[in-house]
Amino acid sequence: MIGLTILGLGLTSYLTYVHYAGVPPLCSTTHNTCLKVQTSQYSKLAGVPVALIGLLGYIAILGSLLAPEGERARFATVALVLGGFGFSAYLTYRELFSLHEICEECVSSAVIVTVLVCLAVWRFLRGDRLPAGTAPQAGIGDPPNPEPAAPLGAPS
Amino acid sequence: MSSSGDDVEEDLTRKQRREQARGERKALEQAEVARAARRTRLTQLGIVAAIVVAIVVVILVTTGGGGKTAVKPGSAPANATVIEIKSLLDGIPQKENVLGNPNAPVTVQYFGDLECPICKEFTLGALPTLIPKFVRTGQVKIEYHSLETATREPEVFKTQQVAAYAAGKQNLAWYFIETFYHEQGEEDSGYVTEKYIQGIASQVPGLNVADWTADRSDPVLANEVTTDAQAANNAGFTGTPSFLIGKTGGKLQPYTPSSLTEPGPFSETLEKLLKT
Repeated sequence: MIGLTILGLGLTSYLTYVHYAGVPPLCSTTHNTCLKVQTSQYSKLAGVPVALIGLLGYIAILGSLLAPEGERARFATVALVLGGFGFSAYLTYRELFSLHEICEECVSSAVIVTVLVCLAVWRFLRGDRLPAGTAPQAGIGDPPNPEPAAPLGAPS
Repeated sequence: MSSSGDDVEEDLTRKQRREQARGERKALEQAEVARAARRTRLTQLGIVAAIVVAIVVVILVTTGGGGKTAVKPGSAPANATVIEIKSLLDGIPQKENVLGNPNAPVTVQYFGDLECPICKEFTLGALPTLIPKFVRTGQVKIEYHSLETATREPEVFKTQQVAAYAAGKQNLAWYFIETFYHEQGEEDSGYVTEKYIQGIASQVPGLNVADWTADRSDPVLANEVTTDAQAANNAGFTGTPSFLIGKTGGKLQPYTPSSLTEPGPFSETLEKLLKT
């Protein structure tokens, strides 16, 4: 998951640079449809470039993945990734149905975040895993100070 | 002896059974705890997903996901548009589809589809800065040419473009073109009707509507649309807006600006051309 997040981070860093530097993005289509998407009215949200929003999102996801393992960190990761997935879905909708153009970098980011959401949800639902050999803790209703079980085969 | 041995064995067996029962009880409790934890996590996931969906819907609606309609001529937004376009274009020479000094050293050919929303972004984005800076000063002239992309019906495309060129017969094409872009409706909604086109024409200052109507039947204008398509094809254009730029009288080259809304990149390119 960290690798994928770093990949997404690199992609959105590039798109953010393209936005502020005013250079055309790399695009394999004949007429640079990536440029059209990147410079469209939907390339900003409330005045903030969506590439920058994506970059900040990936940074936050990476932070949650590098945080000490625990329920809260896993919840933070899945919440952030779900948010990123929703945002990516909105942008993809705009590309396809409002602009009728495809931006390859945007599609790549959408694929990355889709894989991340699957992994993050699985990781969150899985919860903690006890290391092998850990004795189970005492449950509710056990008598206090139970006698330790004698190892099998011990002499009487 | 044998009876005490039996007692010990019985004790051991009782202890084993107790240990076994305790182990089973603990396993059940742990399984129940795990199930409860999983239920809690699923609930939390559901809440987060619902919040995300709600936010996305709000963003969709507020950024124009609910669709838009064409601006009605005579309405306040339309009147404001007329004023804005007049201040942009008044005083700049026009001839047919050309805006600017006919002897300007640099030529820009702008291939657009009047229903293309990306062309609108350029026309309302970068172009309003480029026109006063380069066209009004006589350094650059812009020729508008048509290329069918966003308009799905070829007949509608030809009709709207011929209407623009008909305004060009009175050297008012750019008022028509700018007004059309300013008042575009929702793509693919079929908003370009005869009524809509008449509405655009009614906002072109000084347009003789009777002459304009007659000129719309001129086959020369329909041929111009065909010629535009051939020129676009020769240049390898498949999308709009597309541009050819270069020194007037020389070979024009395809140009893709790095921004359609920020004038900086286009401006720099024009300045470099002017210096050569």
